[in-house]
Amino acid sequence: MSTKHEGWGWMLAVDFFFAGMGGGMVLITGLLELFAGTGRLSLLGNVMGPLFMCIGCGFLILELGRPFQAWRVFMNPKAILTAGAWLMSVAIVAGLVYASFDLDPAWFKQDKLFWQDWDMLRKLLAVVCVITGLVVATYPGVLLGRHKGRPFWVGPGIMTLFMLSSIVTGTAAHFISALIYAPGSVPGIWHQLPTFAGGLLFFQLIGWIGYIWIKRTGTSAAEAASALKWINGEYADKFKAVFLFVGTLVPLVLVMIPSTLCQGIGALLVLVGGVVMRCLVVYAGTDRTWIPGELKYRKRLPIGDEPFLKAWNR
Amino acid sequence: MSKNIDITQAGVEVKKSACYFCHQNCGVLAYVKDGKVLKIEGDPEFPTNHGGLCCRGNIALQHLDHPARINYPLKRVGKRGEGKWEQIPWAQAMEEIGTKLLQIRSEFGAEAVATAGGTQRTDDWSRRRFMNLFGSPNGFHNSHLCWIPTFMVETAIYGWCPFELDMGSSRCLILWGQNPGAAGMPEMHHIRELQEKGMKLIVIDPRFSETAAKADLWLPLRPGSDLALALAWIHVIIYEGLFDQEFVANCCEGFGELADHVENFTPEWAAELTWLTPEQIRAGAYMYAMNKPGNIQWGTSVDQIGRPAGSTMHARAILRALTGNLDAPGSDLLTGPSPDFLTDEEMEANDQLPEEQKSKQIGSDRFKLVTWPGYSKIAEQTRKVWGKAPTAEWMCEAHPPSVFRAILSGKPYQVKALLVSATNPINSYGETKLVLDALKAVDFMVTCDYWMTPTAALSDYVIPIAGALERPTITSSYGCSDFLLASQRAIPPMYERRNDYNFWRDLGCAMGQQEMWPWATVEEAYYAKIAPLGYDIENYDEFVERYRFHFPEREYFKYQRQGFATPSGKVELYSTVLKDLGYPPLPPYIGPTENEIDDPELAKEFPLVLTTGGGFMPYHHSEHFQIKEVRFLRHEPYMDINPATAAELSIEDGDWVWIETKRGRIKQKANLTQGIHPRVIYTQRGWWYPERSMAAPELGGCLESNTNVLTTTADDHCDPYSGSWANRGLLCRVYKVNASDMEGK
Amino acid sequence: MARYAMVIDTRRCIGCHSCTVACKVHNELPVEMIYNPVTTVGPTGIYPDVHMVHIPLLCMHCDNPPCVDGCPTCASQRREKDGIVFVEDSKCVGCLACVMACPYGARYKNHATGAVQKCDFCKDRVDIGLKPHCVNTCHQKARIFGDLDDATSEVHKLVNGENACRLLGELGTDPYVFYIYGLEVKNP
Repeated sequence: MSTKHEGWGWMLAVDFFFAGMGGGMVLITGLLELFAGTGRLSLLGNVMGPLFMCIGCGFLILELGRPFQAWRVFMNPKAILTAGAWLMSVAIVAGLVYASFDLDPAWFKQDKLFWQDWDMLRKLLAVVCVITGLVVATYPGVLLGRHKGRPFWVGPGIMTLFMLSSIVTGTAAHFISALIYAPGSVPGIWHQLPTFAGGLLFFQLIGWIGYIWIKRTGTSAAEAASALKWINGEYADKFKAVFLFVGTLVPLVLVMIPSTLCQGIGALLVLVGGVVMRCLVVYAGTDRTWIPGELKYRKRLPIGDEPFLKAWNR
Repeated sequence: MSKNIDITQAGVEVKKSACYFCHQNCGVLAYVKDGKVLKIEGDPEFPTNHGGLCCRGNIALQHLDHPARINYPLKRVGKRGEGKWEQIPWAQAMEEIGTKLLQIRSEFGAEAVATAGGTQRTDDWSRRRFMNLFGSPNGFHNSHLCWIPTFMVETAIYGWCPFELDMGSSRCLILWGQNPGAAGMPEMHHIRELQEKGMKLIVIDPRFSETAAKADLWLPLRPGSDLALALAWIHVIIYEGLFDQEFVANCCEGFGELADHVENFTPEWAAELTWLTPEQIRAGAYMYAMNKPGNIQWGTSVDQIGRPAGSTMHARAILRALTGNLDAPGSDLLTGPSPDFLTDEEMEANDQLPEEQKSKQIGSDRFKLVTWPGYSKIAEQTRKVWGKAPTAEWMCEAHPPSVFRAILSGKPYQVKALLVSATNPINSYGETKLVLDALKAVDFMVTCDYWMTPTAALSDYVIPIAGALERPTITSSYGCSDFLLASQRAIPPMYERRNDYNFWRDLGCAMGQQEMWPWATVEEAYYAKIAPLGYDIENYDEFVERYRFHFPEREYFKYQRQGFATPSGKVELYSTVLKDLGYPPLPPYIGPTENEIDDPELAKEFPLVLTTGGGFMPYHHSEHFQIKEVRFLRHEPYMDINPATAAELSIEDGDWVWIETKRGRIKQKANLTQGIHPRVIYTQRGWWYPERSMAAPELGGCLESNTNVLTTTADDHCDPYSGSWANRGLLCRVYKVNASDMEGK
Repeated sequence: MARYAMVIDTRRCIGCHSCTVACKVHNELPVEMIYNPVTTVGPTGIYPDVHMVHIPLLCMHCDNPPCVDGCPTCASQRREKDGIVFVEDSKCVGCLACVMACPYGARYKNHATGAVQKCDFCKDRVDIGLKPHCVNTCHQKARIFGDLDDATSEVHKLVNGENACRLLGELGTDPYVFYIYGLEVKNP
């Protein structure tokens, strides 16, 4: 028995990371298709977007108490999780079908796959990708921000931070994909991805510092206490050293350097930062709007490994 | 998901049982089908608890068939404390134990066999019956700590103990070292109801307890200094003219002598000794004396302060008389023993114990009040007026520490056998190391218990006893009340458990006493007790089902008709009974057993004042530590310490600390609280670790956090009147436990 | 139509934890699951001027329950007929969204079954006219349970007539467990 309630753990954070990154990738795929033209991104990137979302769902299903009943999460349209599940499903399908437009027909011993010149469909799918990708990139932040009982999460700020992180990790992932499997077209667009990421990282840096500062000094006592843990408490070291420094500031510098190697390393560090950030945020959710006397009560409860709990089990 | 067991299904019987995890004996309805108890709940129609049940009552079913319960008689094989047992049939156990006891009697005399008891939950009149028939005067409990000295002092002074508080119209209640909020739920409810109607509540307690938090006046006195408070109150009530002139003039002896005696016991004098302000002391006296009728709930703390105990009880008893709060409506009633049903004393066969044997009662030479000298004198008085005597099994006992010393030293004579029933002396008797040595040394020991306690682990035979759902229960305040509440068993005893009554009876029958045990079952014995009431019933169960309780017609001011059961027929503020026994007739001032004024050298080494023994949920003394459904609430021992003191000692909340007195040290975790004086420490009682090995030397960790390791039972530390020892007002010191000291964790 | 509510009179509550244990035992809860913790605030102040209050907690059966709104499987439900919030076990997948959503910490994951459980005001008992276990077992009668819509009920009189407030009311979940405090308790 724990002094803490069983709540969300690292698996959900990892789900948020993959889903967010995948959503961001699909969003970028759609945007570039609509505003910069066809085939600017790597097929690998276009496929990985939906696949990352699937991997995220995989972690989500594993985290469930009853994984085999996972299909039930589609049942309540009023719940954000259900809306998110549906929209993510659409995003995955739309993203995969869109990506299939860039499949090399030679792999299937064909001249051309029959749908690959249905341009209207392609554009339509891109629109769907933009909308659903943006939702998937953003809705975890909305979900957390609506938790009245979790002081670190509550409020409008965290939605923006999650959206930013999803887009920048999506950008980094697209860049790395393109390094692995180059897109068919001229590299004018995807080579700009590092600069775009640099801009997002700058906003991410400012955004987080602002979030913590305002949480600490301009909100309720419970919220201020929760933010303190990020300044010089439980989460401070990992937040500052790993996320802010290694995961945001260093890549911000690296992506500005006109070296593919530096930019590639920068992109990987962005991904590391994305995972770490989400883990810290999920752990920070164990802080609740405690009722007076509650912390002392829970602190004195058994942890769960005490002998008296097991000594007389039949 | 509430699992609602269907109690309306066919074949379910409802039994009117009682919880017996403490003395309140709350009414319990047990739903039984095919010999199994499906469910229990509080009985909404029971007059004390109205359906309520505390933590302990709620785990009755977990207790009933817990995996660690002793279910069969066990005989030791291997060395004492090794933990190797042979299961034997009940009859064989009785035969062998009986033979051994007869052998001891023929060689050393019946007085070489002693019995130790706990806090009831048993039919101890049957234990006394056995001992009387056997010929030994050496039965005892740790009742020296629990009401018994108070009972006898008050009976000496006003002819019975007014333990029945007639609270319906009460205007003021003093809880003198009692915390019903943590231990006596029906009482607490009653108090709260009356407070809502305007009754004032005074709580005398060094701790800001659950009950103190609801008080109108909280008096956090120095532990053990109750005597100074009581004497100062007498002074205020007399010298500020607050006493009941009529009652004092007509019904009391010795007022003049008393007034002279307390002339110098002013609130200012008492303030230094009690650590209260004179204003606080006066406030208490005024509140009690001027809000009449009022009650003093005697608690048990004053029985636990050692050297000043007897004198304090005397002083406290005087307060009721001075204010006329005796046998009047709304005050404390001298109900006397029941004239209607057979009291416990009448079932004890005390006339069977020869005078010669009575005189051998250990401790009766020094501590006369609750041994045969004092008991005989007081019983003589009560028989004159009431026709009956108090229960001997509680009010006339050997002095437990002296018996343990006799086992070890052979003085005044050898004690060769100890029969233990419903107690774990290692945990609950004072000066644990002495007790442990004695139990290891005694030649022959039998323990009757629910569990394999450390005491049971050191025994030669362990006897399985039936619990509350498996036995009928009569509630009658240790056999001294004029009312009774009756409950029936829900199921017959499981496995080979039997009731303690049957243990004494079967043992007695195996030793030739069978003629004196005509009642085969507890129900038959109970029926014999209640038959004289004249209800039209054929058996005990019928009484429970149809009537459940007997409350006689209330008669106030009985003394106007029959006087008080004292030599003078009046309330003896100046007590001739105490004087005849060699004790002061008026309460002298005596300091606490260990204190900084009488022993400043000791206080330098041990600068803090210890109070212990106070109960707390969900345990009752050393019970229920095995039951995880309640153990999780407080699974480790905590001591109370003021944050300022803790800071001086670099102790933080939750740190393990040592608490040490001259006798030894224990460790508990620190609970920093503003609810206690900076110089006072409270340690929780009862702590042992049943999840650990019971084999020696571990013995369930019985020395690790057990507060009785800290207490003393040396003769000169005990109350000269009764021999009760001190749990409160001892000197101690506290310091942090180092990481290297954390053995056993 | 009814609206069940509970009033906790902390002036009467003495922190004995009997309700905690009664609930645990009757619902056969695993040891780590405590539907009904009782916290103690205090002694607050400086010796000897101190006060203390005990606060029994349970599911607040909110009218605006974030646990119901956030449940993706419709396992978490609120009964229209009387406001009781409960979990339909067969639909629960153990996503813990409700556990995170509840500001009062009223919900627990059952490690054996994988699903979430919580206090349901003993609805099976209430449906046949009985009171919840925690209410029955309380010696101090500190827990009062009844239909707030019934003008003759004790809860109605207490909630409307006395200074009965809620915990974390400012969060807007509209809880239906009310607390009455003594005068000495300023901000519990």
